[in-house]
Amino acid sequence: MTDATAAQTSTKRKKRTSWPAEFNALIGLLVLVVLFEVLGWIIKDQSFLFNKLRLSIMILQVSVIGIIAIGVTQVIISGGIDLSGGSIIGATVMIVMSFAQSSIFTRAVYIDQGWVDLPVIIPIVIGLTVGLLCGLTNGILIAYTKIPPFIATLGMMVFARGVAKWYTKGQHISFPTDSFFANGTGMMPVAIFVAVAALFWLILKFTLYGRYTYAIGSYEEAARMSGINVERHLVLVYTIAGSLASLAGLVLASRSLTAQAGMGTMNELDAIAMAVIGGVSLSGGRGEIIGTSIGMLIFGVIISGFIFLSLDAYYQEMVKGVIIVAAVVLDVHRQKRRAMEA
Amino acid sequence: MNVVEEQTANRTRAQGQDLVTKWLSSGTQFDAVIANNDEMAIGAVQASQAAGISMDDVIVGGVDATQDALISMQQGGMDLTIFQDAYGQGEGSIDTALRIIAGEDVDQTVFIPFQLVTMDNIGDFLSKN
Repeated sequence: MTDATAAQTSTKRKKRTSWPAEFNALIGLLVLVVLFEVLGWIIKDQSFLFNKLRLSIMILQVSVIGIIAIGVTQVIISGGIDLSGGSIIGATVMIVMSFAQSSIFTRAVYIDQGWVDLPVIIPIVIGLTVGLLCGLTNGILIAYTKIPPFIATLGMMVFARGVAKWYTKGQHISFPTDSFFANGTGMMPVAIFVAVAALFWLILKFTLYGRYTYAIGSYEEAARMSGINVERHLVLVYTIAGSLASLAGLVLASRSLTAQAGMGTMNELDAIAMAVIGGVSLSGGRGEIIGTSIGMLIFGVIISGFIFLSLDAYYQEMVKGVIIVAAVVLDVHRQKRRAMEA
Repeated sequence: MNVVEEQTANRTRAQGQDLVTKWLSSGTQFDAVIANNDEMAIGAVQASQAAGISMDDVIVGGVDATQDALISMQQGGMDLTIFQDAYGQGEGSIDTALRIIAGEDVDQTVFIPFQLVTMDNIGDFLSKN
């Protein structure tokens, strides 16, 4: 190859790899939307997208998992992983519901102690504390005992699910007060997701916390040597992830008006998938909240689209799996290219 | 009977609610919703009510006869459920095991008779599950 051609090829390569991963995700989203829209007209003779009720349910359904995904995004950026989100939801909903019950239900959990009709702030604070404690435990284990995040959060996943099942010996809890229900009505879950996403977008982009997170994820030793207290920061990251998971649980409980020990199962995997599809790199140091949000929308479109076309829901799972793997393959490929450039 | 839609809602109330809302948003017409457990059935009731459909126009059926379902029936939401007879199932399994030990022939699948719960006999089931 002559020098001229070599220079040409390397500029061409540079142009392609400067596309952010989030852009690929956005394109994927648009492709899916157009696909379902077209199929909708062919098969169902109606529009997929231009239907207000469907759009709102689409976003509503995924925004609970989206809240976990925000927490998981910053964990993955810091170079770790968090598998406990779904189980934290389970433990949170059970504990929160037991304190949010209305006295009209004569078999309320704490009716003998008189802890019914409590002001809604009490179950909310209790719920967030549950997630905070779980996340704190994860963070301390990971930062100070140095066990891999996969193992620590896996342990929490199993433990928290156990707490959820043990709490009422498997009985589910219902009949919350009206004020508790208010948190889950209408588009509140979406509003909460948007607020959380916007907040963390700001934090990751403009604060020291954000920069430290990216630094630790890119190269932990270098971050440590530049004076960042890596251990303390990691504890904070996982605590926040746990708290966000419990926030998701609070929203889910208000929406469902019930708490079951199995709630949230597998949600952490969906959350991680949303982040990965949105361009967050599993090797750390790279990713954006906007990417995760696009990943969440992609999930929403797939779930809604399949139901809209009356396709068997089980195909959904297979398609999700393929998309996740494809997204990671693309990510690894783009990283190899970047490494070759450098 | 004409089945217009069939999907899973993974046994949870929220998913059942979202599913029925999606069907309603597509303009699907139905006279009855049958769910394989009470949680999804209650979700269907919530979705229908939120969409302004009168519960007199839709029959909603579930399985389990949980406390939540019985209260929903009393409030006019769900119309029927099937009693999940844990005691009967336990008893039936032990009986079958004893018969196998005694050398008798037993069926591959042993059915415990189901009990339909409607507003007529709801009183019998209020304290059971």
